[in-house]
Amino acid sequence: MIERTGWLLDLYTHPEDGVVVWLLDEDGTRRRLRQALPVVFYAAGPADRLRLLWRFLSEQPQPPRLSRAERRDLFNPEPFPVLAIQVENPALQPLLFNRVTAAFPDLVYYDADLPISLRHAALYGTFPLARCQVSIDESGKIASLFTLDSPWELDLPVPPLCILSLEPDVDPFHTTPCYLNINCQRYSYRLALSPPRPMLVNLSAILQRHDPDLLLTTWGDTWLLPRLLELSEQNNIPLPLNRETGLGIAHRKERSYFTYGQIIYRGQQILLSGRWHIDAHNAMLFHDYGMEGIFELARVTALPVQTVARVSPGSGISAMQMQTALRQGILIPWHKQQSESPKTALELMHADQGGLVYQPLIGLHQDVAEIDFISMYPSIMVRFNISPETVGQESPTAELIPELALVVEQDHPGLVPRTLAPLLKKRLALKARLADLPAWHPRRASYKAYASAHKWLLVTCFGYLGYKNARFGRIEAHEAVTAFGREVLLRAKETAEDMGFTVLHMYVDGLWVKREGLSQPSDFQPLLAEIAGRTGLPIALDGIYRWVAFLPSRQDERVPVANRYFGVFQDGSLKTRGIETRRRDTPRFIAETQEQMLLCLGQAERACELELYLPQVLSLLRRQIAALRNGKAPLQHLLVSQKLSRTLPEYRTPSPAARALQQLQSVQKTLKPGQCVRFIYTRGDPGVYAWDLPKPPDPDCVDVQRYTTLLIRAASTVLQPLGISEAALRDRLLAGLIAQENLFAPRSILPARMPLQPPG
Amino acid sequence: MGRTLPSITQVFLQEQDSFARFRRALRRSDQLALDDLFAAAHQHLAAAAYAAHALPFEVFLLAMLLEEHKEVIRLRRLLESALPLSND
Repeated sequence: MIERTGWLLDLYTHPEDGVVVWLLDEDGTRRRLRQALPVVFYAAGPADRLRLLWRFLSEQPQPPRLSRAERRDLFNPEPFPVLAIQVENPALQPLLFNRVTAAFPDLVYYDADLPISLRHAALYGTFPLARCQVSIDESGKIASLFTLDSPWELDLPVPPLCILSLEPDVDPFHTTPCYLNINCQRYSYRLALSPPRPMLVNLSAILQRHDPDLLLTTWGDTWLLPRLLELSEQNNIPLPLNRETGLGIAHRKERSYFTYGQIIYRGQQILLSGRWHIDAHNAMLFHDYGMEGIFELARVTALPVQTVARVSPGSGISAMQMQTALRQGILIPWHKQQSESPKTALELMHADQGGLVYQPLIGLHQDVAEIDFISMYPSIMVRFNISPETVGQESPTAELIPELALVVEQDHPGLVPRTLAPLLKKRLALKARLADLPAWHPRRASYKAYASAHKWLLVTCFGYLGYKNARFGRIEAHEAVTAFGREVLLRAKETAEDMGFTVLHMYVDGLWVKREGLSQPSDFQPLLAEIAGRTGLPIALDGIYRWVAFLPSRQDERVPVANRYFGVFQDGSLKTRGIETRRRDTPRFIAETQEQMLLCLGQAERACELELYLPQVLSLLRRQIAALRNGKAPLQHLLVSQKLSRTLPEYRTPSPAARALQQLQSVQKTLKPGQCVRFIYTRGDPGVYAWDLPKPPDPDCVDVQRYTTLLIRAASTVLQPLGISEAALRDRLLAGLIAQENLFAPRSILPARMPLQPPG
Repeated sequence: MGRTLPSITQVFLQEQDSFARFRRALRRSDQLALDDLFAAAHQHLAAAAYAAHALPFEVFLLAMLLEEHKEVIRLRRLLESALPLSND
């Protein structure tokens, strides 16, 4: 028997060995260990059906251990009888469960489809990259295992992982790659993809030599690994992509789905065992939080690293809730069973509302403070104990939910608040730590990545309360959260107004306020303290704008829109929402120009100084227009990238994106809904040229006129608060007559009311 | 996005659409004044949503009236400051 300490790398089921655990030992070796981990699932239903199931199971070739038990589920505080079915090897459980459901589809099943990593986490407190102490017998079997870390610690060191990056030299969906670039520690290799035999032999040797823990690829899921595996099979040269020999490589198919008002495309996935594969192009939100964020998500959700890199945050929060349930001995239903309880039409009108979204006061404002509730919805769930099983439960201390004729019990912490509380605490601690750290500090980047990963989990947690397929979802709980949210925001507004502030804008969990003479962070502390006191929720100052401009709608300049604004904080940083630089389909050349213009205006300390920077901004704009006309703008910066919302036959009018897609399909390149099509605008018919066509576009064909229009429109967005309309800007720029006194003429911000036009 | 009821913006646009025939028959100058009224109501969509009134158009009418009254107050103040002594 030996004792070892190391970091948990991977954990999966194995047909012969039960559970395989990979440990990165402190001495640097990667140990493959086995562990016995019998799993139990449950069936409930009429006694005679359960008796039949018992008989059915005893007649199986490898009969599971059966027993009668009493358990409770989330919605029944009283235990009820169930049949407990224990399977010795967890790898065989899914197969047995399939047979059981085929024969007894009428029974209710619990704990039937849980990932093994969650069961392990609930039993041993493990999570990916946790430091563990294990006792191992002579045959490599784990006798005991203790976890030394907690996922809620702020500074968990990342062990010395061996990362091998593997990428083709060019985007394979644009042109056919010729080389493979490989980097591992201080070694780099470049292998020609053709002929395949020497490439495969070399790659195989490199993989064996470095034995990486993580294979970090670009287009690895969608092109590279499938291609390599195909070549390996054709040439009969095995490629040791898996660390575990003898197990196949897991493929998941590509799919497009619709969520939160947009269509999402997920490429196919290639998952390895004993080693992780992460494709930077196919990982969810990789651009947002990177590897650090993925590790943090894996820690708090206890899902395997390569799974967590690809799943949506919703699956992450689901996993956390399942762990809480497992630890508390609450059964996890295989399918959700709760349906919505009936409401009257009036109740529905009050309940079926989201957060409050105001229309801001259009125009330019100075010394504006933006204050936000910290993780408002999760904080509400924890503060008011909102959970599927607590909403609607009477108890002596129950709280009434505003607007809804419902109560929430407060005596027993619900499943959702219990799951969220440590995460929320860690987030608040992170925020506090970040606020204290100087800008140069090396830990800042990691903390920011963690905070970003937490944010996604917390955001989706709210959505999951109302999601029809979530196992622990219930629409009434979801409605309770938004009802409290509206109440809290209105209380904050009333507090601000009581204290003499003008509320310029409100957006779900944030307020923009100002009061004459207040411009320093300390000036706003009394307001924050009062709001926190009246609402019971934490609120923080996001920043103070030197100036901020709330823009009207593009269609009608009398109509304000909730989320179209830009401003400069006191530290000089910009915040923009809903304008061109923020839009994904804006060509880089235009987005960058707009940003430069904003940075230039951002030098103004006060709103009234903005005009001083106007000449500088206009000359910048003129230079960019000249660059466009003289062909100096790089073609790649003129690329428009638009997400496809449907397949080609479904486009009723041939939009530019549809025309580009058509060009691609004529050369047998297909794109799925949710993927982006890239093109440039060209002169004449058909007006676009798809970027991923085999032949590069002719630079002389670029539709300079169209790009100029787009550029001027983006510029006018920025200049609008100075009273310069798009038409005025265009006339003057194109005529080459920039008469500044004329541009200054309509000085006021938009008038409170537009003057009425004379008849006719 | 999983909502059972139309959002307040959708309700507002439906109400505005239902007056398309009325608007068409108005003189151009009156049409523009009518548009002003709807634009005024648009500024209070958040409050209209929160009100969750069974007859939303009543709330929109009140919002129009509210903006009109604000304009009256503004003009009255303007007038009073321009003619400070005329009432004496």
